[in-house]
Amino acid sequence: MSELPTGATKTLKASALKAGASVVGIADASAFDAHAPKGHRPDDLLPGARTVVVVGGAQPRAGDWVATSPWLLSTMGTTERIQGVGRRLAQAIESEFGYYALFVPPGTASGDAPFLSLMLAAELAGLGSRSLAGPILNREHGFMYWSAVITTAPLQVDPPEAVPACPAPSCREMWEREGTTPCLRVCPLDAGGCLSGRLEGARAVRTGYDAARCNTRVHTHWVGGFQKVLEETLNEPDRDKRKMLVYGDFMTRTLWAITYSSTNIAQCFECMRVCPAAHGLREMR
Amino acid sequence: MTSFFRLDPEVYARHKDEVLRLSNSFQTIDARGCSDREIAERLGLDERTVTEIRVVAERDVYPLDEWERAIEFKRKACTEWSAAALKRPDLKEP
Amino acid sequence: MAGTITAAVTSIGLAAGARVVGVAAAEAFRAGVPEGFRPEDILPGAKSVVVAGGDGPTAGAWRCPDHRVMEITGYDLRENVAVHAMCDYIEREQGHYAVQAPSLPVHGHEPPMSMMHAAELAGLGSRSLAAHIILNPEYGLLYYAALITTLPLDPTPPLAEPACPHPGCTAMYKRIGTTPCLRVCPACLAGTVKEKRIETSTYDREKCHSRAQTYGIGSFQKALLEIVNEDDPARRREQIHSEFFTKSIQSLGFFRDSIAQCFECMRVCPVGRKHRKLK
Repeated sequence: MSELPTGATKTLKASALKAGASVVGIADASAFDAHAPKGHRPDDLLPGARTVVVVGGAQPRAGDWVATSPWLLSTMGTTERIQGVGRRLAQAIESEFGYYALFVPPGTASGDAPFLSLMLAAELAGLGSRSLAGPILNREHGFMYWSAVITTAPLQVDPPEAVPACPAPSCREMWEREGTTPCLRVCPLDAGGCLSGRLEGARAVRTGYDAARCNTRVHTHWVGGFQKVLEETLNEPDRDKRKMLVYGDFMTRTLWAITYSSTNIAQCFECMRVCPAAHGLREMR
Repeated sequence: MTSFFRLDPEVYARHKDEVLRLSNSFQTIDARGCSDREIAERLGLDERTVTEIRVVAERDVYPLDEWERAIEFKRKACTEWSAAALKRPDLKEP
Repeated sequence: MAGTITAAVTSIGLAAGARVVGVAAAEAFRAGVPEGFRPEDILPGAKSVVVAGGDGPTAGAWRCPDHRVMEITGYDLRENVAVHAMCDYIEREQGHYAVQAPSLPVHGHEPPMSMMHAAELAGLGSRSLAAHIILNPEYGLLYYAALITTLPLDPTPPLAEPACPHPGCTAMYKRIGTTPCLRVCPACLAGTVKEKRIETSTYDREKCHSRAQTYGIGSFQKALLEIVNEDDPARRREQIHSEFFTKSIQSLGFFRDSIAQCFECMRVCPVGRKHRKLK
């Protein structure tokens, strides 16, 4: 294996930004050991892994967040754009530096479990921190999509983010005033939602998260929805009623979402829509 | 507690032709079809029911045989065009 | 000022791969679009809609004598890339909101916003006798994507002269009472031509669906219902493993490559055909 050229980390980061990433950071591969279960660590996917390069970007634009159509964010997603950047970086590491590089597949290893948690990777690469609502928030850009590359290259590692974006100052004021935050109010666990938590000073503490319910919202029309309607159909003895299920709006929309998976990957943004830290800093007209 | 929306087959049978006729299913170039909300107002139904009737009817209106005929139609049309194009490589006008 | 910015937006769209770019005023949609499907229903304060048209099949694909090739050739979706590039410019450089217009059907065959209507209003083409497909006078069949923005831009006016009927089709209609598209697909299309203009035109979308989407969501549902209604395990097994159901599932997985599966009315259309003539 060749020596890593001087300035390789800087060169790689510059090319990531040029390729369309909004942020780029590098995590130490061994840092995952303390947080990720065995089988889901960088070394499990690429033996000899030293670092993990993480890129963030392709997040909804300001217009997407203020749009009033419920269909916009759920059918015109942009997740896939950041994966292209990740793939390009993997190629660059191998062709330019001569080190192994593995693009972390965005799909799941089994059920809903990813091969490697991209959120954990982003956090360890210093690109953001976990919010009360769940997603990693970057201090400058807010909510982002992530892609990661595991490599044997000994790139220079970034420290974790020192100050978290969540809770935002306005959320702290709201907590003092009302004992809740925008995300907890919009999707409360004790009233049929997904989230519960509290603020302890400048720290957000999540006390509950119903992942299964969140799945029915984020992936309303998805593989799970298809399976549910199929089961209903097979259990329905009346043929006319079966037709209503198979040809119906829910099944049709679900099949559209599955086929156009790249832009239908996320179908609920309500905790992020109300989050003051999620949308970046710039004012729009 | 909201439950999964199920369309009553009888309601479907009663309204499917009219819903489809008013929608964009069969189109005329100089007149747009009605939205589900507009159809609902006309027929005195709720919008959700109209959407469901329309979506089922779009799929239901032609039998599966029509899909088989489609395969044959395309094969024939494409082959004939190809034969004509090769006979007339300068083909510019119909 | 708006003219300079319009030119900048357009040039970014073209550089990102759009074949054509046009602009419509958001308010122009009110006349022909029901409430709930207009630009301002999607982005409050919408002022403009920018439409990008991208290339369809290559000239070589049009020449292939096997119709199944174009059914799974797909296209590169450059118009969507162009729209994203223009959205980025508008938000980052101009500080105005911009969103890609939602165009995927969400309830049956109805999209939240019609890209065909947007292309027409942005002066990129006009409706044709062939399934009312928007024909660009120069390139014929193009695929359209659009963005909605709060940025005021200079609209490009709708076409003064419609692209359809083509002079050759007008002459043909005068001679034998039909046009190439009407003749090739009388099942989906009907229409008349009068004084070089479309006089009447109808289009059976659901019949067209069985041809343009022979394998896909619709065929999957049709076949699935037959399967779940089949009581005989041996027959059910045949249905599940049939070529039709197999290809239907494949089309769901490779949907980008299977977006359009019938080109017969466009194959015979002379508008833009000059771009399909190569060596």
